Amino acid sequence: MAGVVLRKVVKQFGAVKAVDDLSIEIQDKEFAVLVGSSGCGKTTALRMIAGLEAVTSGEIYIGDTLVNDMAPKDRDIAMVFQNYALYPHMNIRENMGFGLRIRKIPKAEIDARVEEAADILGLGDLLDRKPKELSGGQRQRVAVGRAIVRKPKLFLFDEPLSNLDAKLRVAMRAEISKLHRRLGATIIYVTHDQVEAMTMANRIFIMSKGILEQSGAPMDVYSKPANLFVAGFIGSPAMNFIDATLVAADGGLVIDTGSFRVRAPDSFASRLGAHAGRKVVFGVRPEDIAARAAASVDEGNTFAAQADVVETLGSEIFVHLTCGAHAIVSRMEAPESPLRVGDTIEVQLKMAKTHVFDPETSLTLV
Amino acid sequence: MNRKIVSSALFYLAVAAIVLVVLFPFLWMLASSFKTQVDIISWPPKIFFSPTLQNYRKVFGEQDFLKYFLNSTIVGASAVGLSLVLGLPAAYSIARFRQRKLAVFILLARLMPGISFLMPWYIVFSRLDLMDSYTALILSHILIALPIVVWIMSTYFSTIPPEMEESAMVDGATRQYAFWAIILPLSGPGIITATTLSFIFSWNNFMFSQVLSMEKTKTLPIAVYNFLSYAEVDWGGVMAAAVAIMAPAIVLTMIFQKYVVKGLTMGAVKG
Repeated sequence: MAGVVLRKVVKQFGAVKAVDDLSIEIQDKEFAVLVGSSGCGKTTALRMIAGLEAVTSGEIYIGDTLVNDMAPKDRDIAMVFQNYALYPHMNIRENMGFGLRIRKIPKAEIDARVEEAADILGLGDLLDRKPKELSGGQRQRVAVGRAIVRKPKLFLFDEPLSNLDAKLRVAMRAEISKLHRRLGATIIYVTHDQVEAMTMANRIFIMSKGILEQSGAPMDVYSKPANLFVAGFIGSPAMNFIDATLVAADGGLVIDTGSFRVRAPDSFASRLGAHAGRKVVFGVRPEDIAARAAASVDEGNTFAAQADVVETLGSEIFVHLTCGAHAIVSRMEAPESPLRVGDTIEVQLKMAKTHVFDPETSLTLV
Repeated sequence: MNRKIVSSALFYLAVAAIVLVVLFPFLWMLASSFKTQVDIISWPPKIFFSPTLQNYRKVFGEQDFLKYFLNSTIVGASAVGLSLVLGLPAAYSIARFRQRKLAVFILLARLMPGISFLMPWYIVFSRLDLMDSYTALILSHILIALPIVVWIMSTYFSTIPPEMEESAMVDGATRQYAFWAIILPLSGPGIITATTLSFIFSWNNFMFSQVLSMEKTKTLPIAVYNFLSYAEVDWGGVMAAAVAIMAPAIVLTMIFQKYVVKGLTMGAVKG
């Protein structure tokens, strides 16, 4: 098992920088998820770690070994591809044993390891079938099985669940997490799905346009996004961004959006003080907007808004609100008397959880 | 309703006309090969006649037809074999490393009139004392077979997802081994198409053999040509010989036509 270090890694395709000055450090036995929208360089980064793509500049270490010029076969890694890349002309047993046969491992041991992996993944009955006779979910398991029989230092997953239907994806997510604990291996997992990233990762690396935007534990990234991009990317539905002006008033700071005014908590004052009188972006997660409880005291965090669209999910509802010029999405508990389109409701923000961004640098102020 | 019947009638009429035009010379040849000289030149042409095997007996008995048959086979098989050995890796490289210009260049070699190669070849091969040798003939026929192999196979390889060999490479294979163990076994239909077509082109080639071969390495088309130029024209013999030449090509095509059509149309759509 081994950690992985990328130091100032650059990958250039012609004039395009797919990965730009990427430095990340992944600990031994960590489940690291590279996440970002398509074209952000996450897959390119993974392929460079695998050795399938040459590094333009920078250094990649697996364990303590510099692997820049090492062939993929010598890196002691296993990779699961998005389209599984099973060999159609071999049965499942041969597919899973392929890497071991190349390494001239005795046949008895290959058989034992394949059986073991098949047991773990519930593929026991399918070993003599060809890949085309298997369902998508089963093929996915075989691809994972082919990786684990090798017992490599490092597992690489390239969007392995994106070809599965939603239900299967949830099941496989849990299964891969379980596998990670069982194998005690280092895993680098690439996905565009922030839900996968949040649920599976020990640490998330959020990329955009070839650059690492932020890394950290899922909850840290969620509650303390470094900038506007990360704040908008993590969380579903996405965070509401509202253009506002920071005003000094009533002995504190007030966020004035033009449509409503809310009072910034005193704890924000030290970091926002210098920005009084300037334009800011006010960020509120949908889940931090609730209907105002009748008995609650107004602490300068409520305003009235009109419900435009109400999406009922069962235990909770998504409400698309309009307040003046602003459209805001909120996610709240389903009220006892159903909310109707056109209703005006009092909403209340959990101000301590809101964020304020600098529109010029797009960095987080609070 | 009426219009539908008319249009479908017209359609089949057109098909019949095309088939007739294409097949008529072949049928004429086939019929003549079983006719006596008198029947062949009689006018109006006899549609009903008593067939004779005389022509075939003459072709295979008096002429050393089997030897020419063998020569054509040796030259065709060797040229195709060598073209596969050289062309499959080349096609793979073109497909994977996007060397499309190289592929066009190789195809150009095929599109240039073959006769422009003959003069230099003639000089080189006679200096090397390789005239009337299998070596010279096989080398010249590689010019026929290799571009076909490269063109068809580079298109075929590019339809195989690159993850196949990438996965094998991560699993511990070199690229060469991945090509051998993963890509080639998946390329059966493409290889059959390329082999069939290039073999038939080599089999039918007249010009290169006419110049570069003499008695020892003479191939079938030259043998038939020689039939014509001796004394009186023995039409029955020529026709029988022509049928004998065409038979292997037709049999090959019929056996592999499923793959050939697939291989060719795939090239057309994906190219």
